[in-house]
Amino acid sequence: MKKIALLIITVALTLVGCDVIEGPYMNLSEREDVTVVFPDLNPDEVYRKVLMEEYTGHRCSNCPAAHQMLDQLHSVYGDTLVIVGIHATSLAATNLDYPYDFRTEVGDQLANDFGINAIPAAVFNRENDHPGGLGKDEWMGKLREMDRSSVPAAIQLINEYNASAASLKVNAKVTMLEEYEHPLYLSLFLIEDGIVQPQLSGMTMIPEYTHNHVLRAALNGTYGAYLTTDGLLEKDNAYTYGCSISFLEHDWNAANCTVVAILYDRTNGKVLQVETLPVLP
Amino acid sequence: MSKFLRLASILLLLLSVSTVKAQHEFGNSRISGDFGFNGMYYIPDSIIGAEKVDSKVRANAFINLLYSNGGFSAGVRYEYYQFPLIDFEKIDYKGQGIKYFFADYKNKFIQVTAGNFYEQFGNGLTLRAYEDRQLGIDNSLLGARVKLTPYKGIYLKGVWGVERRNFDSYIGRKDFVRGADAEISFGEIFPVIQDKGFVARVGANIVSKFEKGSGDYIFNIYPGPDSTAEAYIPGDKIPENVLAWATRMTFGYKDFRLEAEYARKINDPNVSNFHIYKPGEALFLSATYAMKGFGVAASFIRADNMEFRSQRMEYSNSLLFINNIPAINRQYSYQLIGNYSYASQPNGQIGAQLQINYQIPKKSKIGGKYGTDLTFNYSRFHNIDKQPVAEAVANGTPTGTEGYTSSFFKFGPDLLYQDIGLEISRRFTKHWKLILAYNYITYNIAELQGHPGMMRGHLVAADLQYKINNKHALRLEAQHLYTKDDDGSSAYAMLEYSVSPHWFVSVGDDWNYGNPDPNKRVHYYNISAAYVWNTTRIALNFGKTQEGILCVGGVCRAVPASYGVGLSVTTSF
Repeated sequence: MKKIALLIITVALTLVGCDVIEGPYMNLSEREDVTVVFPDLNPDEVYRKVLMEEYTGHRCSNCPAAHQMLDQLHSVYGDTLVIVGIHATSLAATNLDYPYDFRTEVGDQLANDFGINAIPAAVFNRENDHPGGLGKDEWMGKLREMDRSSVPAAIQLINEYNASAASLKVNAKVTMLEEYEHPLYLSLFLIEDGIVQPQLSGMTMIPEYTHNHVLRAALNGTYGAYLTTDGLLEKDNAYTYGCSISFLEHDWNAANCTVVAILYDRTNGKVLQVETLPVLP
Repeated sequence: MSKFLRLASILLLLLSVSTVKAQHEFGNSRISGDFGFNGMYYIPDSIIGAEKVDSKVRANAFINLLYSNGGFSAGVRYEYYQFPLIDFEKIDYKGQGIKYFFADYKNKFIQVTAGNFYEQFGNGLTLRAYEDRQLGIDNSLLGARVKLTPYKGIYLKGVWGVERRNFDSYIGRKDFVRGADAEISFGEIFPVIQDKGFVARVGANIVSKFEKGSGDYIFNIYPGPDSTAEAYIPGDKIPENVLAWATRMTFGYKDFRLEAEYARKINDPNVSNFHIYKPGEALFLSATYAMKGFGVAASFIRADNMEFRSQRMEYSNSLLFINNIPAINRQYSYQLIGNYSYASQPNGQIGAQLQINYQIPKKSKIGGKYGTDLTFNYSRFHNIDKQPVAEAVANGTPTGTEGYTSSFFKFGPDLLYQDIGLEISRRFTKHWKLILAYNYITYNIAELQGHPGMMRGHLVAADLQYKINNKHALRLEAQHLYTKDDDGSSAYAMLEYSVSPHWFVSVGDDWNYGNPDPNKRVHYYNISAAYVWNTTRIALNFGKTQEGILCVGGVCRAVPASYGVGLSVTTSF
């Protein structure tokens, strides 16, 4: 009897795994050079855009109503409103009826960091004054009260998509239109429109629902990379940044994808400017 | 059509109660089970924040069936949460089907279980697969379990399984949990020890989770002014196997008992700890002494980076927890401080709790004819001391480093929760009994609920019971919370009338009269009636519920504001 017990313990021990990871835990990769030439910038044509991170899920019954609200907002604010649809929370989990996984690690991290528990909800310009984000009935009011009179910086983007290698190189140039005193970070997201997959709406499942603004990936991590090394940015200073992403092993359709560039202040999280550019011209 | 289906299915489940009769026995076979239905009709109320819901009639329902024959048993639970109460919809406890089923055989030597099972090793610091229906937590494991008793006093357990995640499919899951536990009870092996009044037990366990990696984890750092580099954690540096282990002991002599458990978890970068590689650890200590009329209990807990889940990117409050760091503070059922219940903080808490019970003797001058019970309680919890490692400071983020160092017994700068309480309980006559309580509570809303503020409040509560005769009884609960913080002061009163053993009727009102927003000085009233017949209880209630949290044993979930009529039916057979 004791032998059996010992045998079982030995088997249990060998079944239990343990990966002890030795440091260093992270790798550093060299930043890519920007070789493209950006066109001249006319500061008078630059306006302040707003980042709206909308948390959604294919099993969220109220989310289609929120998507309609997004369409309304888009008709009012046009391209000054940049929407990123983040599929997160447990209502974005997959099951047999909703097998397509829209979730991303970056989306999960953001949802965790912004305390998103109930969806639909949205965070505007990363302002964290409403934990858990704002419900859809508050979106219009929030946009109305946001001050967009100052335009601290401009972002220019040039995308180079290599179809044969299925890789995208994003070139970004940030020009300061005002003096600024904090270090700035640039975060690059890839979003996709026109993904046809099931969505719960009220009580019923819509099998062929078109999902737009879907966050696919972050090109340079959840919170991007530093753009400036110090916190003293003179007016008219310009900074370039380049970064690549591979479309291989993903079902992303480059023709429907757009790059979103988010310029923000690392010290307080405030978003200064947002810009978008489709992957293909 | 869907409305009709919904009503029909709810009715069908309700009807199934009347069709199940008392327990069935056929020879050695026995069928038993229980049933629960909890439904509500929601009425929107913009003042309290009760939102208009898309289907007004909602219900949670389940039925458990258990078959047993000698050492063999098998069980199944059907759950119907397709249109659940809004609390459950918010945490995605939504769906229907059989997510719990098992077959089990046991004799004196071995117990084997296949299917779903609940299990806890020690105090649960490394493994606690449990269910709390009220919270909407069911993290049962689907797999296999073996329990062995090779010798009297020696207990061995081995488990392997995939954790349940609400009504999601198990298919395609890339994570599972395995573990083993051993316990030796010396008192049972050597009865002479037990006879002399000693208790001595030791135990140890290991738990490991596997989760398939999903590639590199890219993040942002600030490596320095001259650097032109980006940072990422390569996929091969993300551990697929995360091991936790714990060791424990219990020592007792007569009325004295000492318990200790220490747990450790190796590198487990996950969303809740900002992907750091520091090992986690937890220590739980408890000492109790009890004699007639006097008891003292003291406990201590420290937890550091011990959130342990099946999936590293899961962040929902209720899902995929493998372990549970217990809350050691005194738990209350007072209505007015329900929203200020301490939630255990597995990633950083240090604290202690002391409780002293004393009974002023019966038939003494002060103690009165029946004696008077006094309970004093003090608890205090802080976050832990965290000093970021140099690399984390240089990078501007702890991600991809050891994170921080922490001095083991040092209390961190932020007070999370403090409770000073005194309770006096006295029976005056055969008919009258009174419980009086006072608590001063400090609750860190910012750290525990994520919105700014600190609540400091005085609670005074009275519970007066009047037994009219053997059948009829009245109970009055009155509470007052005085605070200048958060939602301000509230008063509460509830009168309950019971005709035993069948009827219970109560009316209550929670008035948030001190809310800083005059429009929110609302009466949260509640009227309820319940009828009990053998093991069946049917209750109807009508009223308003304030938005807040609900905690059971230090595990909490959000409760949305609601207003409406509720019906609950429970029965066992």
